Amino acid sequence: MLDTSTKNTDEIRGRLSVWLAKKKLAHRPLGFDYQGVETLQIRSEDWLSIAVALYVYGFNYLRSQCAYDVAPGGLLASVYHFTKVQDDADQPEEVCIKVFVSRQNPKIPSIFWIWKSADFQERESYDMLGITHESHPRLKRILMPDSWIGWPLRKDYIVPDFYELQDAY
Amino acid sequence: MTMLATKTSPMIISMGPQHPSMHGVLRLIVTLDGEDVIDCEPVLGYLHRGMEKIAENRTVIQYLPYVTRWDYLATMFTEAVTVNAPEKLTNIQVPKRASYIRIIMLELSRIASHLLWLGPFMADIGAQTPFFYILREREMIYDLFEAATGMRMMHNFFRIGGVAVDLPYGWVDKCLDFCDYFLPKIDEYEKLITRNPIFLKRVEGIGIIGREEAINWGLSGPMLRASGVKWDLRKVDHYECYDELDWQIQWQIGGDSLARYLVRIGEMRESVKIIQQALKIIPGGPFENLEARRLHRGKNSEWNDFEYQFISKKPSPTFKLPKQEHYIRAEAPKGELGIFLIGDDSVFPWRWKIRPPGFINLQILPQLVKGMKLADIMTILGSVDIIMGEVDR
Repeated sequence: MLDTSTKNTDEIRGRLSVWLAKKKLAHRPLGFDYQGVETLQIRSEDWLSIAVALYVYGFNYLRSQCAYDVAPGGLLASVYHFTKVQDDADQPEEVCIKVFVSRQNPKIPSIFWIWKSADFQERESYDMLGITHESHPRLKRILMPDSWIGWPLRKDYIVPDFYELQDAY
Repeated sequence: MTMLATKTSPMIISMGPQHPSMHGVLRLIVTLDGEDVIDCEPVLGYLHRGMEKIAENRTVIQYLPYVTRWDYLATMFTEAVTVNAPEKLTNIQVPKRASYIRIIMLELSRIASHLLWLGPFMADIGAQTPFFYILREREMIYDLFEAATGMRMMHNFFRIGGVAVDLPYGWVDKCLDFCDYFLPKIDEYEKLITRNPIFLKRVEGIGIIGREEAINWGLSGPMLRASGVKWDLRKVDHYECYDELDWQIQWQIGGDSLARYLVRIGEMRESVKIIQQALKIIPGGPFENLEARRLHRGKNSEWNDFEYQFISKKPSPTFKLPKQEHYIRAEAPKGELGIFLIGDDSVFPWRWKIRPPGFINLQILPQLVKGMKLADIMTILGSVDIIMGEVDR
């Protein structure tokens, strides 16, 4: 599924990708998002070691972590946005990391121990999409009730007892 | 010598969701050893409305009236970021005058939010009086909002490509009057609060966050700046027209509750400065009612070119989002308010992730209150400045 070879990717390759390649860290450049932020795909099993590498590279600030359903019945994705916080910064380097996992067994290592701000956000992506963030200290539902069944933000989620107005005759 | 040793087991108390100093419906499960907090676990979700899910089958126009319910005290910011995300995804340019109207509204909203932080914060630590003062000033901001947008809190004022209407006649003068009135009022607050020994005893050295810690926990806004980081998205990202105005990032190195108070007070002053400058150099002239002048001059008037085409902006209800994605943020009074938006070549977004500042800032709370006294929970939680509407969404 994941092609970590370097062919045909040079033209969409950003600074971080070059750096990771130099360090022989497996990743796959996904081009740039609409704001020109470099986007990389990382395999779930590589994620923890590459996360440490990113921290060493200087990304000290996890500004947002979120998850989404790539396609109904398809993969789930966890998205991380990093930046470098420093004094008097002026558009510092940013990066967007995506980790794709299968819907049947969505497991991604938790980066809580590197960036503490992942705490609630990883719990939320567990709550909403059922992604298990391994080694997260308190992985349980955060916004939905503990007894809730199902993962609300998955595209194939069916709202229980949903009352359609057109059925009201 | 005999000592009477009483060994008590820790007491577990559920604080909230109805507790008045929980700022809405936050619940803290607090483990206490006498007065000392051993452990604290926040329980969220009492105000969860599934706003991200709802966004997935609403067009931007349909969704706009709802977004003011995230952070209902800084409503303009939620609208701004909701409009900015699709705007930037579809390369829509915003006329200068609209941009100025936006930042004036945003800064007024920031003042209103900081005011309604100050009052309850002081009430939390036992000073009820400032609450009445801040409401007096906040009313005036809401009067200004009402005059310009028709609503006091849930304005639905921002539109893709501009704002809903031009400023009404006389509004700019009224707003300048407010600025002149408000600046001495901040001094008045400071006279009342800043050097008050009782206040200082309650906030100094309480809830200290170090610089590295603040960055690692992903804090933003006054929380981050009070820990000695000069980081303000208005300067970092250069959005809207903040660059054209002269203002400074407010920051402190204390990292405690007092520093966060000082940052917010300073930010109110800076906001007034921004508004005053923006009102003076707003394109289209300081006197308003461009709409009437535009109609008067007819089709070829200068008021009809692009720079002034924000009046009664009516974006298409079938506004399509391209198959693109990006993360857009704005500096809200509580911190970084972000949207991760994935378009799907349809009118509905595929994913609309909200990155609320309160949600992220709240994470550090258990660590801060551990080892403190029970009464410090209110101080620390108050200084974090959360709004459950955006924490739970």
